[in-house]
Amino acid sequence: MDWNTMGIVFALLGAVLATFLAGIGSAVGVGMAGQAAAGVVTEDPSLFGKALVLQLLPGTQGIYGLLIGFITLTQIGILGGDPNISLAKGLLYLAGCLPIAIVGLISAKWQAKTSVASIALLAKKPDQFGKAMILPAMVETYAVLALLVSILSIFSIGGLAI
Amino acid sequence: MAIVPMKRLELYGLKRERKAILEFLQLRGVVEVHTPKEADTLFSRTDTSQASLEFEQNVQIPEQAVKLLDEYAPVKTSMFASLEGRPPVSQKEYDNLWKKAPALLGKGREIIDLGKRIADDSAQILRLEAQLESLKPWLSLDIPLDSKGTAHSRIFAGTLPEDLDEPALKNRLAQLLPKIPGVEVEVLSHQPQQTCLFCLCHKQDAAPVEEALRSLGFTYPAFSSDLPPAQQAEQIKQEIHQLDQDREDAKKDIISRANQRRELLLAADYYHVRAEKYRILGGLWQSPHVFFLTGYLPAEDAPQLLSDLENRFTLSAEVVDPDPEEDVPVKLKNGFFTAPMESVVAGYSLPGKNEIDPSSVMALLYYILFGLMLSDAAYGLLIVLGCGLALLKFPNMERSLRKSLRMFFFCGISTTVWGVLFGSYFGDAIPVIARTFFNTEITIPALWFTPLDDPMRLLLFSFALGIVHLFTGLGVQFYQLARRKKYADALYDVVFWYLLVGGLIVLLLSTEMFVTMVNLPFRIPGIVGTVAGILAGVGAVGIVCTAGRESRNPFKRLLKGLYGLYNVSGYLSDILSYSRLLALGLATGVIATVFNQMGSMLGGGVLGAIFFTVVFLIGHTMNLAINVLGAYVHTNRLQYVEFFGKFYEGGGRAYEPFAAHTRHFQIKEEK
Repeated sequence: MDWNTMGIVFALLGAVLATFLAGIGSAVGVGMAGQAAAGVVTEDPSLFGKALVLQLLPGTQGIYGLLIGFITLTQIGILGGDPNISLAKGLLYLAGCLPIAIVGLISAKWQAKTSVASIALLAKKPDQFGKAMILPAMVETYAVLALLVSILSIFSIGGLAI
Repeated sequence: MAIVPMKRLELYGLKRERKAILEFLQLRGVVEVHTPKEADTLFSRTDTSQASLEFEQNVQIPEQAVKLLDEYAPVKTSMFASLEGRPPVSQKEYDNLWKKAPALLGKGREIIDLGKRIADDSAQILRLEAQLESLKPWLSLDIPLDSKGTAHSRIFAGTLPEDLDEPALKNRLAQLLPKIPGVEVEVLSHQPQQTCLFCLCHKQDAAPVEEALRSLGFTYPAFSSDLPPAQQAEQIKQEIHQLDQDREDAKKDIISRANQRRELLLAADYYHVRAEKYRILGGLWQSPHVFFLTGYLPAEDAPQLLSDLENRFTLSAEVVDPDPEEDVPVKLKNGFFTAPMESVVAGYSLPGKNEIDPSSVMALLYYILFGLMLSDAAYGLLIVLGCGLALLKFPNMERSLRKSLRMFFFCGISTTVWGVLFGSYFGDAIPVIARTFFNTEITIPALWFTPLDDPMRLLLFSFALGIVHLFTGLGVQFYQLARRKKYADALYDVVFWYLLVGGLIVLLLSTEMFVTMVNLPFRIPGIVGTVAGILAGVGAVGIVCTAGRESRNPFKRLLKGLYGLYNVSGYLSDILSYSRLLALGLATGVIATVFNQMGSMLGGGVLGAIFFTVVFLIGHTMNLAINVLGAYVHTNRLQYVEFFGKFYEGGGRAYEPFAAHTRHFQIKEEK
């Protein structure tokens, strides 16, 4: 096997992992929060809109994952362009994708737990929606930071001369 | 543009006028009644909970009636029903309600009775149908089920708990009663686990026959009737038919009353308002001839209210400035541009004592931050159009919703501006459409720069915006402290931090390493950097010396001061937190690009165009929804955590005036 042609493989692996792991995290998270939201809506259907917002909060990690996956695909030439990248670069792309892949997976789950708690808060005190919304958003900060590092890495790797 | 100054109202009136005065106050809706917990022994309270409860029950009647109307004569509601708000009702019509309300209650009761009739009929029909079902196995019997026999015969009609046909049954009986002749048995019907039979014998043989039947598990039917089953079934069918007719009549009757809906709801509102009045009445302290009432009202409404009260009633009323210790309710008042922030502030907590209303300070930055996170001109325009149209088309919209829509309207404008600056219109839809369908290259150049090409630049800009935001917050803290004449605290807690954080930032910008690392187009000259470093040092020393100033012990004070200085890491994380502006801004654009690219996969041509349109519509709707949510949540977070963290604690209590809190209508005063 010629290791030098493997660059693109690792790069694509990175893109796939970002979409895949962060997507799993969000799917699990939105699912958990959705179950809680459904429970609250059975009691008070007028809370649907607010419960929906809280349900969707852990859904952003999947989108961040998609974002990184897509940027990587365009950068490595899978979507048209030159797919010839060195092994080192391919591994770099893989590494660059990992922050959002892993942090996305784990933060979505924890954010969902906070969302579930916030939905319970909403059920008891519907007027405290503002606070209920901020608590899960705090968890998301770390997904945003991971996304940032991933974005900056992916964009910079192309310019490296290796 | 701030917290509305409040006055305390102290009112002494004649007891016989108390209801009229309360009604007047309720109509005005500007006083939050706050009666003291204790009063002179001369005064006592009247228990009005019974009356209040009665009115609450009166609210239930028309509301239940309307529920029935909704069930049988539903009103078509448009998609935008939630935007329409409660319909208006004129003050005059509302004032005349007291005459009509009792009659309306009667009408409501009639509808409820009709509803009950429908429910009873339905239950009865179900019961009869069950009876009909249990009669089925007996239909072939042509004498009544409870016939016992004639002068010389005995009849047994009942069931056996197993499936037997006639020969089998006869066989069994013959075995059990070998010596008794003339036992006539007929199987009326048989099914698994049940056989219905009719048995006739001579009266003198009744006992052994019954015993034999019993040994087979014979039981009499659970119901009895003096009519043959077939006839009885016919009768039941008749009854069901009648009940059904009756039910239909009742339904029609209810439907014919659909036009009473509005009046019924008015009555519900009327009783709801009265219940509230009686609740307040119960809290008033009264002597045999006098009552007194205290409460809070906005200072601006006080003179008008006082003069109106004095013109109408015999009373003594005055407004005084509340004590600084009192728990005065908080009402915010802001202009067109800043008022939408009130709900954001209230979502955190209303300003507490000694705090200012942050709405006006945060409005501009709120809109800017939101726009930067969404940053697409087309999305922005859609939001502006949607909110603008809704605001124009639905004049009766609830106030809070109106404010929220106005907030999104301004956010939309900001989004459009950022979108133009970054050259994003549905992501890269225009070049994609031009390339796929028209084979030309059209691009709308970004007015400033394209974030995807230079994310570092946007990141730095986000940090800069964050620093502006944080320093604004610190500035507000300075203002709050200075207003309370705590100049020393303002110096220690604000100015030193300005020096330290600002100095460090300038110092950083003057270093060679940082400038090359982030590719900055300018570099601050070294001498400025040195000065900034010195200022930062002054700030740091100041913080170490003063952060622990409440401790007497110098050693403890130093330690606390050092810990205070450690807070600089808090500033670092606060500033880094603004990187979400970049992340979310890029997310919108990139996801839009993904959808555009997906849509163009089938290439040009009719099929391609259809596919593109479908993907475009679905994709961009989803992207818009998710990113508006994201931008909203994260803008709030930046305001609540980073911005409010610098100066705001909240803890105020909302001003809730005693007013006509109608649920179904808005009372409009004639001009």
